[in-house]
Amino acid sequence: MVTFIASSAVRLLSHPTESATASSRFFFRREPFTVKTKSLLAVVSAGALLATLAGCSPDVSAGGSTDSAGGDAGSCSNTIVNKDAPQVSVWAWYPNINTVVDMFNKSHDDVQVCWSNAGQGADEYAKFSTAIAAGTGAPDVVMLEAEVVPGFILQDALVDLSEHGADDVKANFSAGAWKDVSSGDSVYAIPVDGGPMAMIYRADIFTKYGITVPTTWDEYAAAAQQLKDAGGPFMGDFGSNVPAWFTALMTQNGQKAWDYESADPQKIGIDLNDDGSKKVADYWQDLVKKGLVDTKDQFNTDYIGGLANGSYATYVSAAWAPGYLTGAGASTEGDGAEWKAAPLPQWDPANPVSVNWGGSTFAVTTQAKDKDLAATVAKELYASDEELQDGVDTQTIFPLNQKMLASDAFADTPVKFFNGQTANKDVYIPAENAYEGYTYSPFTTYYYSELTKSMVSIIDGSKSGSESLDDLQKTMTDYAKAQGFTVK
Amino acid sequence: MTNPAAVLRAPSRRRNLRRPWIGWLFIAPFGVIFLVFLVAPLVYAFYLSLFSKGLATGTIFSGAGNYVKAFTDPEFLSGIWFVIRFAVILIPIQMAVSLAAALVLDALTTRLSRFARLAIFVPYAIPAVVGTLMWGFLYSPTFGPLTDLFKVVNQSAPEILSSGNIFGGLLNIVVWQWAGYYMIIIYAALRGIDPSIYEAARIDGAGPRQIAFRIKVPMISSAMALILVFALIGTLQFFTEPQVLRPISNGSITSSFTPNIYAFDLAFRFSQFNYASTISFSLGIVVFIAVYIFLFASRKRRGGLS
Amino acid sequence: MTTITRVSTAKKRPNITAHVFLVALIIYFLLPLWWLFVASTKDPQGLFTGTGGALWFDKNFNLLANIQELITYKGGIYFRWLGNSALYSLLGGVGATILAVLAGYGFAKFPFKGRDFSFAILLGSVMVPLTALVIPTFMLMSQLHLTNTIWAVILPSLLSPFGVYLMRVYAADAVPDELLDAARVDGSGELRTFLTVALPLMRPAVVTVLLLSVVGTWNNYFLPLAVLSDQNLYPVTVGLGGWQALAASNNGGGTSLYTLIVVGSLISIIPLVIAFLSLQKYWQGGLSLGALK
Repeated sequence: MVTFIASSAVRLLSHPTESATASSRFFFRREPFTVKTKSLLAVVSAGALLATLAGCSPDVSAGGSTDSAGGDAGSCSNTIVNKDAPQVSVWAWYPNINTVVDMFNKSHDDVQVCWSNAGQGADEYAKFSTAIAAGTGAPDVVMLEAEVVPGFILQDALVDLSEHGADDVKANFSAGAWKDVSSGDSVYAIPVDGGPMAMIYRADIFTKYGITVPTTWDEYAAAAQQLKDAGGPFMGDFGSNVPAWFTALMTQNGQKAWDYESADPQKIGIDLNDDGSKKVADYWQDLVKKGLVDTKDQFNTDYIGGLANGSYATYVSAAWAPGYLTGAGASTEGDGAEWKAAPLPQWDPANPVSVNWGGSTFAVTTQAKDKDLAATVAKELYASDEELQDGVDTQTIFPLNQKMLASDAFADTPVKFFNGQTANKDVYIPAENAYEGYTYSPFTTYYYSELTKSMVSIIDGSKSGSESLDDLQKTMTDYAKAQGFTVK
Repeated sequence: MTNPAAVLRAPSRRRNLRRPWIGWLFIAPFGVIFLVFLVAPLVYAFYLSLFSKGLATGTIFSGAGNYVKAFTDPEFLSGIWFVIRFAVILIPIQMAVSLAAALVLDALTTRLSRFARLAIFVPYAIPAVVGTLMWGFLYSPTFGPLTDLFKVVNQSAPEILSSGNIFGGLLNIVVWQWAGYYMIIIYAALRGIDPSIYEAARIDGAGPRQIAFRIKVPMISSAMALILVFALIGTLQFFTEPQVLRPISNGSITSSFTPNIYAFDLAFRFSQFNYASTISFSLGIVVFIAVYIFLFASRKRRGGLS
Repeated sequence: MTTITRVSTAKKRPNITAHVFLVALIIYFLLPLWWLFVASTKDPQGLFTGTGGALWFDKNFNLLANIQELITYKGGIYFRWLGNSALYSLLGGVGATILAVLAGYGFAKFPFKGRDFSFAILLGSVMVPLTALVIPTFMLMSQLHLTNTIWAVILPSLLSPFGVYLMRVYAADAVPDELLDAARVDGSGELRTFLTVALPLMRPAVVTVLLLSVVGTWNNYFLPLAVLSDQNLYPVTVGLGGWQALAASNNGGGTSLYTLIVVGSLISIIPLVIAFLSLQKYWQGGLSLGALK
């Protein structure tokens, strides 16, 4: 009788959703089972085991890893070209990174990249912070989005690159891009890819409903109303899963959310509910209430499906949008869709503000064995003309490197997704060059998680836009205090 | 049982007692894995939970402080409340579906019933990640089958993943994934009943329905109760399905949706390893109490019945 | 033996309600699989804006092209993942079964000191949620230089306390002490006694535990996600999850991953479904064996 029951438990136990317990033991009550004393004993014996393990020195396998500059980041997903050169381990998830790494390794005799993909975004960060907490297991160089850099600085995970020659490449980047990765005089990552924001729109839908391209947010709202009155599709989308997007739009209207420097990491100023931000929040809530924009989460299949089948007239998005949409199957062929790019609508057209959805960078970890060498890789990977060109050709990145950004070839490229519009020159390059940079907090992921909650309440109308920002201000202030920060 | 056994047993027992290490030798390989991959990590996690560390502060010993914080933390408590509600609603549905299916399959031996047995069981062989992804697609109000269905009556399809409906959406996925498995276990238990009992009942004039509910169900009640315990523990530790659905949930699955998701986010997204360990252990405590209450109640009830 | 009487009872009532109920269940449980198959035949546009709706084929039948792309995408890495999954689940499953058989036999047949206590610990220790174990396990692996190797997935998969439980219960009933003692009297060593006398008797339970642990490892997602960073080592669940994350991120770049995810999901479930269908005699036997007691 018990046999099959136990077999069910095997399945439960080995399955991530459900794991099982000693219930059968309690259930049958054949033997007395007092948890307290027994688990105490278990604790003691395991404690002894742990002590043994802790005593085990980390260079057990040192003999085998002499050629590796890195710690335990593991085997390479690429081939090493120059086997005699020292290796630097890199975690990155750019779709064309294998090509870029091969290019890098062929052109470098002094150093070789040993690359692996540790997951996309949050997955990689989870592994990275676990490795930092464990004190071992991190790569030498890690790909990070700019928004998470200060958080990892605070965990003492990143090396200050200003001591390893970061200034050599400073001139390659716009002031805004450089500010995103710096704190005071320190530089903690080298920018690679950026997300200057713009509005892409369906020219065919605009023509059909007689709409002119909005240049201000007021015009955007008016056009949305016009579309709805004429029975057209949604003007756009306000999804709760894009807190970075919403942060950028609030920043556009003057929000200076964080006052924080990694050099003085115990102090932080928080200002999330200024009038400009509230105006933006109320504005979008109004559009949602009137049914002028959809409220789907972005990037999921539903949303992509909507973009592909003409449910949205615009997509307020970043420079990677055309590449992303092509890849997601929202093609311009066949179904009469005609996408175009236009600058982001403004609050004050006299003083246009350029904002950034977020970009990615390479940083050197504190577990890197040879920090100079790792810094070389961070500076030079994805930085040669050839490597950048591949990123552009495959629509993988929007390069922040001025070598590419300032080149005529890049500016004059007709973008197929936009039916040949030279969108880089018309929209994206000016947007990037006008971008002034952003100061991130050291707890961006928590902030984004809370901001998502605020966005949900803005969408479902349980709070007004202004109220939800007031609450957010309070939540974040409390959180910062609880984490031991002095709130300025 | 037999005489030679009685003769043989005495010397052999002495022999075993003289060499107790033989038993340990058989257990040792498993024991090592058990200590290294279960006991040691557990102890370490418990050790972590006794300290607290803010992002901007050093690590300090806080004893039970984290536990006090956890059981007054509204995020943790709301997650606990969710999984309890989920368990209370899910388990009866799940049991009803699998019991009904098992009873029907036990009573029939047609080609259809053999096929049905496999069809119902197939979801068990599908990884939870893949199963949840599939349902995520099927729930889509823009290109899922519901769209076509509701088009017929000129309505737009409901948002199953919205915060009002997500409960039902998850319920459906879990029932789909696990009902077949529970069904097979109940079915196996039913096959184990001596059929002469049915024969006797039939002679006494019992119909198939009476046989099912008066004889079969009571006879497998201890198996049912045990499955319930497993389902209870699994549900309280709910993780994979909401985690996979999260990116498409339009914000209705938050970072504290279930206690396990909360612990996961605390550790891997918010870098609060100490508090994450505390949440995990606190969940363990809640599971322990819930299982204990359930077993206590069912034992009392069953005791009263028999 | 019992089926004869069963057939006669079932024959009396060709129950229509029961059959309707079964058909409804079949539709419900197979519907997502049907969708998966149909979706695998669509191109990216067809997936979202197809002509036939979600549950019927699009005008373009793209299944072969999708499989073709799956074979070539990133040098066929998908099939490497599939191979990894097979390797991990076979090694993990076989290993877990061996350990469980040995330990279960040890618990059942050797009344040594501390046996009941350690068995209780074994059963009582799994109430702590998985999330609590991941960080320390990762740290442990790092210390042993095992992270990002196949052992980081396989070694923890060897842990199957309920396999041990099952084996103990089964061995206690199925392996008579008298037989063991007889063998010992004949001068057989303990290991030989185990291999020649006990093991054959435990075979049905062995098959069940083996199958269940193989499935558990095959379906595992959380552990390999946490301990592997080289995608050449990923099992197929983590690989597909990674594609899903990539597709849903802003760095999709160039290729449509959704069709790959869908067709990859379809292919990934085929081995286990086939295994279950072809081995049903064994696992159903294994499950009901206990019930017959």
